[in-house]
Amino acid sequence: MADLFTFSNPSPVPSATSGPLAGLRVVVQPNLSVQGWPCPAGSPALAGYTALSHATVVTRLAQAGAVLAGSSRMAELGLGLAGDTTARVLAEGRADLALINDTIGEARAAAAGAGLFGFKPSWGLVSRCGLTGLVPSMESIGLVAADPAPIIAALAVMAGPDPEDPSIPEDCAAGFRAQQPPLTGVRIAGVIQECVDNMDHTQRNAFEEGLARLGATGVTTRMVNLDQDDLFADVHHIVAAVEASSSAGKYDGVRYGHRSPAGKNWNEMVLNTRSESFGPLIKPFLFQGAYFQFHNYSAFENACRIRGRLVQATSDMLGQVDMLVAPTCRPAHDPARATTIEATYAAFGLTLPANVTGLPVLQVPSPARAPGTDFGLQLIGKRCDDAGLLAIGLALSSAAREGR
Amino acid sequence: MTYEAVIGLEIHVQLNAATKLFCDCPNRPGDEPNRNICPVCLWLPGAFPHLSGQALEKAVLACLALNCTIQRQSAFDQKVYYYPDLPKGYQLSQHHKPLAKNGWVDIVAEDGRLKRLRIHHIHLEEDVAKLVHETEGRTPISLVDFNRAGTPLIEIVSEPDMRSSHDAMEYVKALRAQLRYTGCAECSLDQGTLRVDANISLRPAGTDVFNTKVEVKNMNSIRNVGDAIAYEITRQTSCLEKGEPIVLHTRLWDPEKRVTTAMRAKFEGPCVPDPSVAHIVVDDAWCDAIRRQLPEMPAQKAARFTATFGLNPEEASAMSAERDIAEFFEAVVVCGPPPRKAAGWIGSHLMPVLKERNLALGATHLGAERFAALLDALEKQQINHQAARQVLVQLVDSPVSLAQILENGDFGQICDSTDLETLIERVLAAHPADVRDYRNGNAKVEGFLMGQVMKASRGKANPGRVRQLLAQQLAK
Repeated sequence: MADLFTFSNPSPVPSATSGPLAGLRVVVQPNLSVQGWPCPAGSPALAGYTALSHATVVTRLAQAGAVLAGSSRMAELGLGLAGDTTARVLAEGRADLALINDTIGEARAAAAGAGLFGFKPSWGLVSRCGLTGLVPSMESIGLVAADPAPIIAALAVMAGPDPEDPSIPEDCAAGFRAQQPPLTGVRIAGVIQECVDNMDHTQRNAFEEGLARLGATGVTTRMVNLDQDDLFADVHHIVAAVEASSSAGKYDGVRYGHRSPAGKNWNEMVLNTRSESFGPLIKPFLFQGAYFQFHNYSAFENACRIRGRLVQATSDMLGQVDMLVAPTCRPAHDPARATTIEATYAAFGLTLPANVTGLPVLQVPSPARAPGTDFGLQLIGKRCDDAGLLAIGLALSSAAREGR
Repeated sequence: MTYEAVIGLEIHVQLNAATKLFCDCPNRPGDEPNRNICPVCLWLPGAFPHLSGQALEKAVLACLALNCTIQRQSAFDQKVYYYPDLPKGYQLSQHHKPLAKNGWVDIVAEDGRLKRLRIHHIHLEEDVAKLVHETEGRTPISLVDFNRAGTPLIEIVSEPDMRSSHDAMEYVKALRAQLRYTGCAECSLDQGTLRVDANISLRPAGTDVFNTKVEVKNMNSIRNVGDAIAYEITRQTSCLEKGEPIVLHTRLWDPEKRVTTAMRAKFEGPCVPDPSVAHIVVDDAWCDAIRRQLPEMPAQKAARFTATFGLNPEEASAMSAERDIAEFFEAVVVCGPPPRKAAGWIGSHLMPVLKERNLALGATHLGAERFAALLDALEKQQINHQAARQVLVQLVDSPVSLAQILENGDFGQICDSTDLETLIERVLAAHPADVRDYRNGNAKVEGFLMGQVMKASRGKANPGRVRQLLAQQLAK
């Protein structure tokens, strides 16, 4: 158990015995504040930092009757999945729902790796208050479970305006309501041509199985072209590195965490502390961010401009179809083993567009495949159509159960 | 070659909002260290800044008082630098989209003409923590006080329109008067609630190039702003004459030695938009509602004082420079005394008394009615000028009534001719040589004898009557 959890709740009893989530066991990553729990976010820079109060989503889950099981292990500051045990906690039956901060696709990739459903809500639908985040404009607290039902129930509780998080945009102010009844009328899914082009034989077979299951729920598919598809990764990389550099400035390791004893003065102490604290994946990422901040700001500005174009292009395409479809993972790229920036961007290349655009996205497992050989299926929805996507997820899930 | 100075000022002003800019902590930087702090202003992980509505309103009011155009949209950026007073590694400031643009203030230039000095923009930002250096003791240490971290500031960035230290001092004075009128800031250079950074460069007179500038900081009074700029102009002129290049850097004004010394290379950190802080979007109706809170400003007041009360421009300017004085002046005039006499007494006698005590009018026992009654007693010759000044001090310092002060203090004037004649005879008898001198034609002696009589009356004799009676006695 010690290798699964960084902290397990010594008294895992619900604070409310009734409520929509009564008895639902939730595992969180140690970057989400639970009062009195260690909150090191996987980084020595924050080692020993204890959360002073609950994150907004933690308060809401607890009030709805959920039980906080503990916090898992996670990659440093939540970039990638190396060392992350959150999905394994679910796979081993120690919790029913996991919250994984989705910065570049972590919640979906973790779900795909474990044969689970993983959902990244529309950016801003869920309060980030109490999240020790890394890339504020791209990350959303993702939800992972074996079935969409607990994801829907938990999201209904978690979503909605929070006076403590003023960054929640107006279009998310209505919160989230599970769609009742689900799925009326014809739905069209646009299959992203560029994803299919790059597939090998194995992945194509798996992907087509997934499309067939989608078709069985009444969704028709057609091919679409996402122009400038290759720009998503560059935009994500530049913007995320810059934002991470600022975020990690707060996680200084001086007021909490590891503090270097060496150094003639404050400057040296801070330099030593940071160079001793941050690990081999995050450190070069912060360097890259600082490079764009201090020496190549125009590249950052260009990335922001291009990001605006990509958001618009994707939104235009979603005006013609109800959702976009792509695989979640690439064969031969294991997100859990990506320990360099290059490998991380390669492994998460199919998930990061939804982070760049802030769109809701659902990872659907393939029931026929063993974990590890399942590349997953991503359904990317229109902004704030979180409920519509999850309704399709429910239909896929019940079809899979009936087919068993 | 003759050089012309090009001066621009960046002025930070603390707003007196009740809370900090992004959290609910009290905005009282002077409290016991680290008393007014929370996860937001300590920037602990997971805490989110939320903009104070009151700070925004006060900032907008200040911008309107400085004739700026409020921008429909403004946003916060992270100004990145690492220093112990800023442990989160960036300051929230508005770099790309400031709150307001294109303002101005008017000053009287050295040639006596009105000169309009433009303001490029005004932006909102948070103050940083305060470092306290304990140098005594075995190991010198530096302490960080977070009470000031997150205090709302506006930074007022001028256009480089100033050409002399006079311009710069008048600009600071005019800007301070406008801001104090709005009631949204204390604006004390001494207390650090108004901080001036001056950017100074030189160019050949008559050209319109902008040369490398030098930034000067650490001036804690308007006089020091003027002196530091004057020093810097002289220093740069001598550099240019010696053929030394001017390098962009920051210098500190040393108020003891009265020189500027190089501190560091001027540092400009990058400014990255902050995705977690809400953008500010304002509409015309909201701006108009704030605009309606603007009081009558000094220039309008001075014009009205001239038109309504017949004050001359100097008197009108003195009576309108500070809002509390202006309101006091009007309240006094309502009670009846001649406006110019009231203005004269406020300017020449009351204001020095307040300055000496370092007191605001509101903190004294002097009300408009008590002051008006004093002027009335003077007008009716119940007391003379000198006694009135002493009574004024008592009216400021104690709540005792004017009647009571006059009764206790024996300030009544001696007007009775018999009493005065007795006094004069006594003085003349004591100075026979001077009397002889006068009668031999030295008229100047009369002034001396007059002074002796006033002295003998302990200042209470009515000077007019004394002059008259003394002349009669000497003529005998």
